[in-house]
Amino acid sequence: MSVKSDSNKLLVFGVRVVAFSFFPLLWFLSQAILFREITNKIPRPLLIFLAIVVGSTFIFLLYAGMNRIISYAPKNYQEGLYGAMFVGPAIFLLGLFLFYPAIRTIYLSFRDKWGENSVGFDNYTWAFSDKIMQITIRNQIIWLIGVVTLVISIGLIVAYVSDKLKKGEAIFKSIIFLPMAISGVGSSAIFKFIYAYRPPPLTQIGFLNGLRVTGGTDNLGNPCKNNIFENGKKIDYVNDGCTQPIGWLQQRDLTKFSTFENVRPDDTLMSWFSNFPLNTVLLMIIMVWMFTGFAMIVFSAAIKSVPAEITEAGRIDGASEARIFLSVVMPYVKSTIVVVATYLTVSVLKAYDIVFVTTRGDFETNLLAVKMMDEFSKFLHFGRASTVSILIFVSVVPIIVLNVFRNKEENSL
Amino acid sequence: MRKSLIGLLLILSMVAVACGNSLEGEEVLYFGAPATDSPDGIAIQSSFEQFTEETGIIVTYVGSENFESELLAQIEAGNPPNIALWPQPGTVRAQARAGNLIPLEDLGVDLDEYRANFSPYLVGLGEVDGVPYGGAHAVNLKSIVWYQPAEFDSRGYSIPETWDEMIALADQIVADGMTPFCFGMYSNGATGWLATDWMEDIMLRTGNGTTSYDQWVNHEIPFNDPIVKNAATYLSQIMHTDGYVVGGTDAIVSTFFGDAQDPMFERDANGNPGCFMHRQASFIPGFWPEDAQEGLGTETTFFAFPDMEVPSDTVLGAGDMWAVLVNDEATQEVVDFMLSENYFDAIATNVAGTGSTRISAHIGFDTSKYWSATTQKQADFLKAALAANVFRFDGSDNMPPEVGSGSFWSEMTELAVQGPSYIDSALDNIEKSWP
Repeated sequence: MSVKSDSNKLLVFGVRVVAFSFFPLLWFLSQAILFREITNKIPRPLLIFLAIVVGSTFIFLLYAGMNRIISYAPKNYQEGLYGAMFVGPAIFLLGLFLFYPAIRTIYLSFRDKWGENSVGFDNYTWAFSDKIMQITIRNQIIWLIGVVTLVISIGLIVAYVSDKLKKGEAIFKSIIFLPMAISGVGSSAIFKFIYAYRPPPLTQIGFLNGLRVTGGTDNLGNPCKNNIFENGKKIDYVNDGCTQPIGWLQQRDLTKFSTFENVRPDDTLMSWFSNFPLNTVLLMIIMVWMFTGFAMIVFSAAIKSVPAEITEAGRIDGASEARIFLSVVMPYVKSTIVVVATYLTVSVLKAYDIVFVTTRGDFETNLLAVKMMDEFSKFLHFGRASTVSILIFVSVVPIIVLNVFRNKEENSL
Repeated sequence: MRKSLIGLLLILSMVAVACGNSLEGEEVLYFGAPATDSPDGIAIQSSFEQFTEETGIIVTYVGSENFESELLAQIEAGNPPNIALWPQPGTVRAQARAGNLIPLEDLGVDLDEYRANFSPYLVGLGEVDGVPYGGAHAVNLKSIVWYQPAEFDSRGYSIPETWDEMIALADQIVADGMTPFCFGMYSNGATGWLATDWMEDIMLRTGNGTTSYDQWVNHEIPFNDPIVKNAATYLSQIMHTDGYVVGGTDAIVSTFFGDAQDPMFERDANGNPGCFMHRQASFIPGFWPEDAQEGLGTETTFFAFPDMEVPSDTVLGAGDMWAVLVNDEATQEVVDFMLSENYFDAIATNVAGTGSTRISAHIGFDTSKYWSATTQKQADFLKAALAANVFRFDGSDNMPPEVGSGSFWSEMTELAVQGPSYIDSALDNIEKSWP
């Protein structure tokens, strides 16, 4: 009996291996090689025709073949194996397009420029010692902390407040949610105009610079305005004494602002403040603007699910509105906050479009994803590009692991 | 049913075989950086119309702003275009070294004729170990300073012949309460290239002229050599002298290079222009406001970059270079055509009507064909320089990318921000980053 069941297990294992990897591999490779060979040799319409015919025939053969193989397995295992048969090709393709590239990237991160020779941990040493890389990592941390806290706190407040509105809740929420409908590139282009700088004496088209140069008077007492014609006379801002426009996305610190102009080196607090990376924060705000609406919608749904009886009870007990928010509403939306935070963290680590469209990483505004592409296509250094992508990957892993654990905890409850 | 299917397949394959004999209908994919629907992209496509009519080979030009990364991805995936057009010859050499390019000799190009037509210097930019891979294509002119003659005349200013005269003129303009130079070097992801262009122009005219320039580009002299430091000091004189540049030193890195000349077209309350001189390449009119573009060649024109320590006719320029990635008969025909004299006819005569300012690198090209007088004048400059072998290609494009599109750009940006005291650190940092 026991010998028989052992051999049964072995057979099932064999069938599983064949059905899971050997067959899909055969299926995939035969088609890949076939089409690789004929792509440039036969006319396109024929190629498309062949792809449809051959592709569907092969899939049919794949499942028919696996069906056959599984029929050799013992009866009581067959049901499970049929299930596996449908998952098998998917897992195989996942491995091919996800695990294989991941492993190859790890491998490349230990190789040189073109991936020809091994360089040990050189690329990783570079990643943490190079000045530009250090700034990139710093920016990534600023973005992570800034975007996640700002989006969650603003989203939560807006959701809570709009929930209390008697009228116009829908309109209020739609306005906040609107940026979510605009693509990252579109939002960046909008903000690029807000931060725009043009050399004087041109009219400032940027919102911030327009505000900056308007108002006040120059040293002779004439008003300063953004090239406005009044009674046929042009009023500009070029005279001494007017506030001059600045390139907002080029300000790596605050030294261009009057408060910080004459900071003494021994004034530690002020010189620390004057190093505030203004441009990085201005770019970060674009992402906050884009994602606040999303957070608000999710939180709003969570807040609405808080039973009215509980808040009512709290109110009768004499709790203040803030107290109710912190002690009654917050515990209810805690798990939602974790979900939104996870989503935001992963989005920030992948953030690429905003920096790419606005500064493309100049003036110390780079992020890891942009840096990865720079190393790949600008400096043609495959090793370093892979290293940066591994850094991004590694920083996502703890969040995924945390999420898995949290899910398990919730399921066990 | 089955029989008719097989019959259809047979007919289709017979058609395919029948077509295979001539090059009629063969497709050649040409991939480059100027966007497909940009003036340059349309002009490039228009240059093949005649060719397609004559040979039946269909050349399709595709341009992308992310040319470099897309091309790399295509090469890695084993699906490259037939021909690629790189904006920097340095990348052509890097790709040739990586073994992705086909030598011109294998494409049936007569190398002696090619060298004679495009000057050995230009051909040499696309060579690895003496084997040419890259095809010279279009060039532009960088050693020019744009100005408005009417504004100069009405104030009695004359065109400076030497650096000292230019400085004297600048001082004069400052004394008259105006700003001499437009200077903006902000460029998404490439901020700093304008300063490197200035450096190159100055390097060509100081030290030992072209000799020390070539040594510098090939790293035969260190980047912090006294000759280079001297050049950086000259540049710093422009960037950091009080009142020389529009908006002051802070504005240099904030001003988009395409907007930089706009102050010249603007008049303040007293009718004075925002600036008088702008050193920028021949392609800058494409960035001017529309009404300023109409005055190209009349209202706004250019003079040659002034002489410095080494008086010479040297001309700095840049340009793109193509190379072949997939070798087949149709591609060879296209290559033959692109190296011929009449390849540039359509672009020069502005057939597409997009006003491309591209200039052919072919020495034999008849410059009177160019549609605009300004381009003609520039082309004459370039042709003379190419023939006399005093044309020099943008040095930063020929340095390794870690320097040429990395530290050289970023340290020049830093120099513009930090002021003259930073010259030594900037040059030392670039020297350290040389791979």
